[in-house]
Amino acid sequence: MLGPMQTIRMALAQMAPALGQLEANLSRHHEFLEQARGEGADLVVFPELGLTGYLLQDLAGEVAMRLDDPRLAGLAAATEGLSAVVSFVEESADHRLFIAAALLEDGRLAHVHRKLFLPTYGLFDEGRFFAAGDVLRAVPSRLGVGVGLAICEDFWHLSVPQILALDGAQILINVSSSPGRDLAATNEVGLGTATSWRTVMRTYAQLTTSYVVFCNRVGVEESISFWGGSEVIAPNGALLFGAPLYDEGLFFVDLPTADIRRERIGLPLLRDERPEVQLREIGRIVAERAGLAPDSTSDPDAEAGLDVAPGDPVARPIGFHREVHG
Amino acid sequence: MSGPAAADASAAFELPSELAIDTDVARRVIGDFIRGQLQQAGFERLVLGLSGGIDSGLVAYLAAEAIGAERLMCVLMPYRTSSPASRADAEEVVRRLGCASEVVDISPMVDGFYGEAEAGDPAAASALRRGNFMARMRMSVLYDRSVTFGGLVIGTGNKTETLIGYTTVFGDSACAFNPIGDLYKSQVRQLSAAVGVPDAILRKAPSADLWPGQTDESEAGFSYPILDRLLFWRIDKRRSIEEVVALGFDRVLVERVDRMVAGAEFKRQVPPIAKLGPRTTGVDYLYPRRRPGSSRG
Repeated sequence: MLGPMQTIRMALAQMAPALGQLEANLSRHHEFLEQARGEGADLVVFPELGLTGYLLQDLAGEVAMRLDDPRLAGLAAATEGLSAVVSFVEESADHRLFIAAALLEDGRLAHVHRKLFLPTYGLFDEGRFFAAGDVLRAVPSRLGVGVGLAICEDFWHLSVPQILALDGAQILINVSSSPGRDLAATNEVGLGTATSWRTVMRTYAQLTTSYVVFCNRVGVEESISFWGGSEVIAPNGALLFGAPLYDEGLFFVDLPTADIRRERIGLPLLRDERPEVQLREIGRIVAERAGLAPDSTSDPDAEAGLDVAPGDPVARPIGFHREVHG
Repeated sequence: MSGPAAADASAAFELPSELAIDTDVARRVIGDFIRGQLQQAGFERLVLGLSGGIDSGLVAYLAAEAIGAERLMCVLMPYRTSSPASRADAEEVVRRLGCASEVVDISPMVDGFYGEAEAGDPAAASALRRGNFMARMRMSVLYDRSVTFGGLVIGTGNKTETLIGYTTVFGDSACAFNPIGDLYKSQVRQLSAAVGVPDAILRKAPSADLWPGQTDESEAGFSYPILDRLLFWRIDKRRSIEEVVALGFDRVLVERVDRMVAGAEFKRQVPPIAKLGPRTTGVDYLYPRRRPGSSRG
């Protein structure tokens, strides 16, 4: 059943947070919320760590908030008649620090997503400073559609958009602090990061037949420039809206909810999904990786984690052992 | 050895195709970077050592583009043997940009320390010592002018020279921030052409200008397009020595450049501090350079 809204008017707050300046960023959030409300927005999305800035290092503990923090309650209070996604450092009762995104609706904290995948490679060092979340849930929303939240690197793992869609999300919202890199002239729009993100978002929207919202920050921290380029992709994988690269702004996009129904009936990928096959096979892989069961799909001499023994090409169907067919 | 020049490159230089960048995006990122660094530090002005070469010429153009020429001070710091052509090229940049400039002759500083014996004289300090000393005198002048002009010192080193260590530690590599340190020399040339650096600077052979006729490429024995390509494949694209030799690079050159890069690692990093206390700067006391309270403004 579709909810009451025929069109969701959303606002992408492609902003440049001030690093470590929680109060200043809170004020900016309130300003953007008011502006969005004034222009009739139903949903306002802010980028990853929009309330704190990204390269926090040891500042993380200094800007962390508990979920009952009055500053968060103040932001929630500003969402009467609105939905908003905001992101901050969450401190749990046992003092773990998470990169969190919260869905605020009608004055209350409706849902919190803790970033599941913390990139700690290349230019990233999140695993040093943050704990990884353990829960992935899509939630109902006052917008009349299911909402799935993800944070930046979460979207570089196939399971995340799929689980969110299977759990009922019709809008997948990814909030990001993505550093731009690789200016090779051969890239689409001259930026390798933009090319790879665009590929991912279009693929997810099409395969989950859902709206994909990508809200990426702008601004400079240390050596890093965040590239913006926030987008909304329609359930058929087509670009509905693209914000400019590097420019700060509040950008409005109308999402016709009928397009979700149209796409899902015309291309019933979610109907035909086989989660029970995944569950079975992933259960098997987990057990085999843990050494609780022999690896049933590898050559007998293959090293742990590899299916193929060096110099021994696969010569028989996966799952059939040499002694059976040999 | 190198690929075809990209379509937007003038015939003034060779741009290997895999190194061609989107110069519009580069200008945007660098402009935001310069403004962001200044804003976070609470400064509005920049001080730049302008040699007449392409690296500092490009940075002058990028700085003027980012914050306006009226907020840029170019300091020309010739030594008495520096090429008059370099000075003329630097003055042309200043004239075209309309920025403030000052000439500080470093000869008395250098000669006051070493005496006036010329290079080649057995009594004279080696060219290496003199070159390094000159670079550090220029650094001292820039940091003094940083106070009098009220600007941050903007760096001008490129990625190629940083990787192979063709820099003077605490000399020309000293700066508050560097907008072109991730661009290879070939990319510096490409971006310079795009922003309008004078043709004379674009066309001349890169030189440290320590003695007449010196050029980087004759001194080091390689050409920038080849060196840039080699560094790109080895470092950015993580290719092994065997893989780059298979791409057509000379093994002797590859191994020599590898040694130069490894040998210069110390120049690219903050000196290590002996770990003694519970929390040590740079080790387990880790903050961004600019954070609440660190802006002077």
